[in-house]
Amino acid sequence: MAYAYLFKYIIIGDTGVGKSCLLLQFTDKRFQPVHDLTIGVEFGARMITIDGKQIKLQIWDTAGQEAFRSITRSYYRGAAGALLVYDITRRDTFNHLTTWLEDARQHSNSNMVIMLIGNKSDLESRREVKKEEGEAFAREHGLVFMETSAKTAANVEEAFINTAKEIYEKIQEGVFDINNEANGIKIGPQHSNAGAGGAGGAGAGGAPPGGCC
Amino acid sequence: MFRSRSWFGGGWGRPKNPHSLERLKYLHNILCKNTTVSENNRGILVESLRCIAEILIWGDQNDSSVFDFFLEKNMLSYFLKIMRQKCGGSSYVCVQLLQTLNILFENIRNETSLYYLLSNNHVNSIIVHKFDISDEEVMAYYISFLKTLSLKLNNHTIHFFYNEHTKDFPLYTEAIKFFNHPESMVRIAVRTLTLNVYRVQDASMLRFIRDRTAAPYFSNLVWFIGKHILELDACVRNDADHQSQQKLADLVAEHLDHLHYINDILCLNIPDLNDVLTEHLLHKLLIPLYIYSLTSESTKRPVTSSPYNRDHLQSIEVITRNLEAILTGKSSDTPPRLNYPMQRHESEEETKPSVSSVVALFLLSQVFLIITHGPIVHALAWIILQSNLSVFEEGATKILDVYVSHAKSSVKLEFSKPQLSLEKALENTSCSERDYTTPEFAGAKSFGYDTDHSSCDLDPELVSNSLPSTSHISETSSIAHDSTEDLVTQIQTVKSGSSVTLVKENMPDSPLPDSGIESTSSKAVSDFNNITDEEKQKLLGVKTTSATERVTTVENVLEREAKNIDKRPFLKTILDSLDCSENDYKALFALCLLYALINNKGVNPELLDTLLYPDIHDVSKSNVPTNSNTKQESTSSDNPEECNQSEQRMIDSFNALFISKLMVIANLSCKPASKVRLVTCELTVRLLRTAMQGSTGVASSRHISTADNLRGRAAALARNFYKCDDIFLDMFEDEYCEMSKRPLNVEWLCMDAAILLPPTRTPMSGIAFEKRLPSGEMERARRAIRTFFLIRDLYLKLTGKTETQLPLANPAPFVPVGDTLDLNDSDLISCDITQKDGTWHHRFLAVDNIQVILVEPDKQRLGWGVAKLVGSLQDLEIQGDKEDPRCLHLTIHKPRIGAHGALPRTVLLRAKFKFDDHIRSMAAKQRLTKGRTKSRQKKMQQIGRLLEVSGVSAPAPAPRHRPLFARPALAARRHSGLDGDDTERRLRRPSGHVLKDGIVVYRERTTSRESSVSRTSSTHASREGSPRARSEEIPLEDIRKSSGLAAAIPSTSSQQSTPSTSQHPKLTSTSSEETSFISSEPRFKRKGIVETI
Repeated sequence: MAYAYLFKYIIIGDTGVGKSCLLLQFTDKRFQPVHDLTIGVEFGARMITIDGKQIKLQIWDTAGQEAFRSITRSYYRGAAGALLVYDITRRDTFNHLTTWLEDARQHSNSNMVIMLIGNKSDLESRREVKKEEGEAFAREHGLVFMETSAKTAANVEEAFINTAKEIYEKIQEGVFDINNEANGIKIGPQHSNAGAGGAGGAGAGGAPPGGCC
Repeated sequence: MFRSRSWFGGGWGRPKNPHSLERLKYLHNILCKNTTVSENNRGILVESLRCIAEILIWGDQNDSSVFDFFLEKNMLSYFLKIMRQKCGGSSYVCVQLLQTLNILFENIRNETSLYYLLSNNHVNSIIVHKFDISDEEVMAYYISFLKTLSLKLNNHTIHFFYNEHTKDFPLYTEAIKFFNHPESMVRIAVRTLTLNVYRVQDASMLRFIRDRTAAPYFSNLVWFIGKHILELDACVRNDADHQSQQKLADLVAEHLDHLHYINDILCLNIPDLNDVLTEHLLHKLLIPLYIYSLTSESTKRPVTSSPYNRDHLQSIEVITRNLEAILTGKSSDTPPRLNYPMQRHESEEETKPSVSSVVALFLLSQVFLIITHGPIVHALAWIILQSNLSVFEEGATKILDVYVSHAKSSVKLEFSKPQLSLEKALENTSCSERDYTTPEFAGAKSFGYDTDHSSCDLDPELVSNSLPSTSHISETSSIAHDSTEDLVTQIQTVKSGSSVTLVKENMPDSPLPDSGIESTSSKAVSDFNNITDEEKQKLLGVKTTSATERVTTVENVLEREAKNIDKRPFLKTILDSLDCSENDYKALFALCLLYALINNKGVNPELLDTLLYPDIHDVSKSNVPTNSNTKQESTSSDNPEECNQSEQRMIDSFNALFISKLMVIANLSCKPASKVRLVTCELTVRLLRTAMQGSTGVASSRHISTADNLRGRAAALARNFYKCDDIFLDMFEDEYCEMSKRPLNVEWLCMDAAILLPPTRTPMSGIAFEKRLPSGEMERARRAIRTFFLIRDLYLKLTGKTETQLPLANPAPFVPVGDTLDLNDSDLISCDITQKDGTWHHRFLAVDNIQVILVEPDKQRLGWGVAKLVGSLQDLEIQGDKEDPRCLHLTIHKPRIGAHGALPRTVLLRAKFKFDDHIRSMAAKQRLTKGRTKSRQKKMQQIGRLLEVSGVSAPAPAPRHRPLFARPALAARRHSGLDGDDTERRLRRPSGHVLKDGIVVYRERTTSRESSVSRTSSTHASREGSPRARSEEIPLEDIRKSSGLAAAIPSTSSQQSTPSTSQHPKLTSTSSEETSFISSEPRFKRKGIVETI
């Protein structure tokens, strides 16, 4: 499981916006979206490939810990990327974005890449927040924006991977101090072309390639 | 993809529906067949485990029989079996197992299912399983598993994890072993878990936590924090050139994390836990490291007064040894502990547990900014404000007594490594054969750090027997280094001395037990120590002088306080740190600390009287019999200790000294080449206000006059930069805006690691302007302006006046966009506006005193127009077009209005304005330029008034003042003779030379033009009727005329004008707000008022 870099992500947003489902959907594709099953998890990891490099994403959900100020502020600081999630069918979750963002900006290191996610895009009929509104908010605050559905897996990959790409670019530009692990970035153990084995595999799921059949 | 296909397409006779009981049975079958993990089957096992999670969650939400089957077959036990096998690639399987469990516990909604899952103790077995935590991935999943479980804790589920009978709580004890894991996310998870555990508030569980784990955990935690701080200190020491800002920032953030964590625990309000934590924090970290670092420099200097100056006491090692001895002697209610044997290694880390005072001040500020738990902050504040070095001997036990009835001084006062690693300590606590039934946690504590290999050897027999301490103590003290005796004696003598003088007693009701100590002290009483002797004399001296000298001047008070402060080494260090003569590096931290301390809610306000009690008046009262005052206070406070304190207060307030130190900083910041940063100045000003208002909340007239003088000095400083150039006004307004937008937030300031490095000048350091010294003339001007604002604000607040002159007012309100204006007989220039993006509009340009308005003709009423865009003339940027003389490039900014008036400039429109011909273009340009200049001049006049420009730059203020501000004359001109007015103006003009400032020179030029043309203008009665003519636009129009454009303009306006008889153009907006079109009269009035000020 050698990797070139490890990026730590956090997922933030109001409760019930589908953070843990997004997380599970991304880290373990084997959980097929099924209409009568809501399933999520608070932590996951997965290997992706960017620019031919193996990059491991570790994603920590911060749900349930909002009561403690010390916890949230530490989480923010230890992450290289953050997914700020709202629910397109609930206006209030969109309205709270500013607060979340303020918090994130205050506690995180200034280089943290934040991606705005409007989740539950499958529930078009119940939509309360227009896509344009999300786009406008993202533009205003300099975020990357995307609408996803943890249910149909639409855009979930893209959301996480695009964030990783941006972090990767920042590393290339030398913005991130990669030797400082407090930034949420870790350099992998010196690997010698070991990428082939895990490529494409949902690493965190632990399934060895071809493990199924 | 191929996997999903395998679900449905695969052979093996597996049930088609992935979510069904049959499917689970099938998976169970797989588990049964593959009890041994091998290279071959681990893939299938992993997939089965994953599917099990999925089915169980589905079952939980849809079909309860699924869960029944899972429990019936005891499938968790398979999990355990798999987990316990060590085989190649077991991490694969383990990770999937843990993830399955995570999913299970995260998603289960049915409470009964959850209880069943937890009931057979398998989960606890999984918790204690020794995973291969060297594998990063396993570790991450494992700790997430623990954290997920902790989120499920409540009053019911706690019993599945905490076994009351076996005193076992693996979830908690396993987790806290990772409290200092190198991976930050793991540490965070541990902290989350502990907080989740504490907040369950189960009495029995909390007792367990307190008795068995609190002391080891907290002592290790505190040690961990301390080590971080030493690292931070090293970082600061070794980085004078700002190279490792990032690392420093991380260390500071880490410290903040710790403080917030501690605060989060304290805020859960669990008394037992808080007591243990408080004691550890105070006695193992805050006092021996933070507070001690405040004295480490000063103790070496005043050779006569410190007991620590003897050569053999120089090393902290020895001191701590003595402290230990005294602590042991003092506390009879705790198991006696042997003092440190001599064989302690000198090379141990503890040999230098102190940080620079800068770091100590900074960290203490953070403590006071974050933690509000009364016992901690009050004790700390008390030590800082009231105590002397004896605190290192006695600890803060006494002061803690106020809060905790059973405060035990069982935590030895020392910053040292816990004697046992947390893991070992916890192992010990879980040895069930030990008897832990003692209600005191002291027994458990001993496991924390007193046993085992290291220096502090605890005789186990002593613990178990819990010998009465008396005999033991005398024994230990005699064993101890002989200096111990001296220290003990000192304490005794100090005590006896204080009982005589009633002043010295810093630790009221000395905690020293009589028995054990008496024996040692008796032989040493004669050995009267320097410190006490001297102090006593001083104290007596103070008493007598204050008694004899009835006259108390400020000087007297200061002198007395300066003397008294010697007895408060910590407070002295802090106040001494306020010295900014070289730089304000240290002073900033001292200010932060004082600010944080004064504003901390947990600190008893009476204690703050040490700094805030206005002693000047008080002393005169207290020289006369002290009883009336004291009585009042003693009745108000039923606590004998506080009573005692308030008794002291009359002599021991340092308010005057405090203020004088602050004044020195404030005065320094009013000097041109000062080394005081703006942030320091702002903080000083805030504290000055607090200190001057004192505990009464009202500043004395003496203070107010001081503040007024200060304001004068600050104005003088800013005046140096008062020029007519465009920049000064913009700077002035920008700085005001900046200041009101971002008032100093001390908590944020103390989050910024950058201030820990010596103050720098260069902006390239990336440090905000406020937090560094100004670089270059521009920044010096900015600093001067800001300093003036701050000090002016202080003066106003002290006097209770409200700010009326800032932000600089616009002489008239702006026209709201969308209003319909009567533009009959107004000068309008038609133009085509093309923006960069190609949008094109046709508008009419109207120029007023302060605003430029783009209007569109009103369709309903001829001669009326709708304001489409209103911008401020002041900020207008005008540029000609090189190619087309008919064009102008204008950048129009939003007017600064609103309550704050302090919004930053925002561009409303940046576009090319094309006029009908080059003459109109020139006319527009001139009109705009002129209007801009005039509106700026008006603001400059306001600034001039604020900075009292007249008073300093010339000896004869009156004539110089007038031409700048005597606008009413203009108004008067319409009524009185015009010629008279002109002569008046001409008379005044020369005085403008007196000012060297650009503004007057410039102004002179314009006035001369004005006056030269105003005569011509007077003949044009029709002009006079137009709004601008009535206001101060006459010269402007005249210029236009004088430049030969007069003919062009009427034609422009006549395009719009209708035969309106109205002399006063009206505004049809419903709002009662006056616009500039009708406000000329009030405006003049207002000016008149301002001028008289």
